[in-house]
Amino acid sequence: MALHHIIEVESLKKVFQVGKVDVPALRGVDLCVEAGEFLAVIGPSGSGKSTLFHIIGGLTSPSAGRVLVDGVDLASLGDAGRTRLRKEKVGFVFQRFNLLPTLTAQGNVDVARDIAGDFSHYQAAHFQEIVKMLGIERRLHHRPAELSGGEQQRVAIARALVNGPAILLADEPTGNLDSENSQAVLEVLRSLNRRLGQTILMITHNPEAAGFAHRTVTMRDGRMVS
Amino acid sequence: MVVNNLARRPVRTALSMLAVLIEVVLIISVVGLVRGLLDEGARRQQGIGADIVVQPPGASVFMGLSSATMPVKMGDVLGQVPGVTAVTPVYFQSFGGLTLAYGIDSESFRAVSGGFQVLQGRTIQGGYEVMIDDVYAAENKVKVGDRRELWGHDFTVAGIVEHGKGARLFVPLATVQQLSGSQDKASIFYLRVAGPQDLGPVLARFKSMLPGYNIRSMAEMTSLMMAGNLPGVKPFERIMIAIAVVIGFLVIFLAMYTTVLERTREIGILKSLGASKSYIVNVILRETVLVALAGIALGIGASLLMRHVVLHNFRTLAILITPGWMLRASLIAIGGALLGAFYPALRAARQDPIEALAYE
Repeated sequence: MALHHIIEVESLKKVFQVGKVDVPALRGVDLCVEAGEFLAVIGPSGSGKSTLFHIIGGLTSPSAGRVLVDGVDLASLGDAGRTRLRKEKVGFVFQRFNLLPTLTAQGNVDVARDIAGDFSHYQAAHFQEIVKMLGIERRLHHRPAELSGGEQQRVAIARALVNGPAILLADEPTGNLDSENSQAVLEVLRSLNRRLGQTILMITHNPEAAGFAHRTVTMRDGRMVS
Repeated sequence: MVVNNLARRPVRTALSMLAVLIEVVLIISVVGLVRGLLDEGARRQQGIGADIVVQPPGASVFMGLSSATMPVKMGDVLGQVPGVTAVTPVYFQSFGGLTLAYGIDSESFRAVSGGFQVLQGRTIQGGYEVMIDDVYAAENKVKVGDRRELWGHDFTVAGIVEHGKGARLFVPLATVQQLSGSQDKASIFYLRVAGPQDLGPVLARFKSMLPGYNIRSMAEMTSLMMAGNLPGVKPFERIMIAIAVVIGFLVIFLAMYTTVLERTREIGILKSLGASKSYIVNVILRETVLVALAGIALGIGASLLMRHVVLHNFRTLAILITPGWMLRASLIAIGGALLGAFYPALRAARQDPIEALAYE
């Protein structure tokens, strides 16, 4: 049976213009991710990990190369198309949680659904299972300031998954957590992957965290080195 | 989210509402005062009950703005025209700045107007007597028997009458003519005709007899006095409205601009969730509309309260607040607020999500 590649990256390049200087962030990256895979991306600062994520997640466009996300060619998308991609197919989890401070946890989740609108693949029963797996049922009516770091990150994961995205992009999800909370979050991500088949790409500096993934790839100087 | 965002910065939200409140109060009150005073003056002219008004050449419909006069004896000639049933001469003289007193011949004034409704005391009979209307009496706390200084002379208040017949103060015609050195002069004639069918022919006859004189029906005169017809009123209103809009626009612009700057990361978060540019603009504009609506409600309330307080203390003033102008002021305020928020909203929508997420 042919494997379904949910992400296909081929000869991906990204050049940023800083003043009058061209700064190459990605110098030709090739990557394939199967549906249901948990992939860790490691590498030193400046290796291009976050840029790769930003392109796959539709936050910025590639300079050259081919990127397919769940069958959608990102090179063919303009700003509106990439915005739609983020609504429909991508969920982000950030190092700094990035919850909206004026809303409760439930409110943060609801905003994601509101934004996605008709593009949401929300399924109540499925989402309840996610919430239970994350262990945040009793914390949903609290604002971020009333939650611990680990709880905030789990709410952020719930928000990222509420619309049933094809892929979850986690950029250093344990970077701002202590070891106990880091462990809890990583175990949650692994559970989501194993039990619900969620495709997850995770950036991490921590080799132990990378160990939670099926596979690890290493980036250096804008290239995939292993 | 919109309400929570506004509640997060209560002082800024309150200041924005205050700007809209001021804008609304300014529009409603200035327009209301100008129109109220003008329209109230027109109503008091109508209250005299005359059908025709005759003024000398160059005279203004706004009594007291010109000092042109006519011989009193002209009234006798006008009274002979078929269809005319009563004529009364009036000489008006201002005092204390804007207040006008009518010098009247009591008998002929009664013939034209039907007489005064005397609330206290009696009508004037001659000499240094003055009759005041109830509004003036209440504002100035004057009662029958009090003395009032007019044109350097002490007048005794002979009576207090119901308001609504021309001026607020009435003195004997001969007295004011003598004091102003205008013996046998009149500023204006008020006339009654026998019936509506006589109005046109009498007007035509007067105009042929007195070319160059301002001869009008009362309806025409009061129409000219109404705020909407007076040259200069509309441009003045527009200038005041423009000033009010600029105030509201500037405050809202600054408030929303700083809001957008402060919430750069939040905007980045919304964009990472897939919020489109129109979604971001919509959030900012919804916040603005909510602030504007609150400011408008408070502004209308403040205008009505201010009107109540002002009229309670200054009964001779008139402030006309109509539903039409409340609606206009509301729409102008919302429009100004949306205009002020538009650039900040667009700026928010155009932010690069990666840069926004990295913003500290």
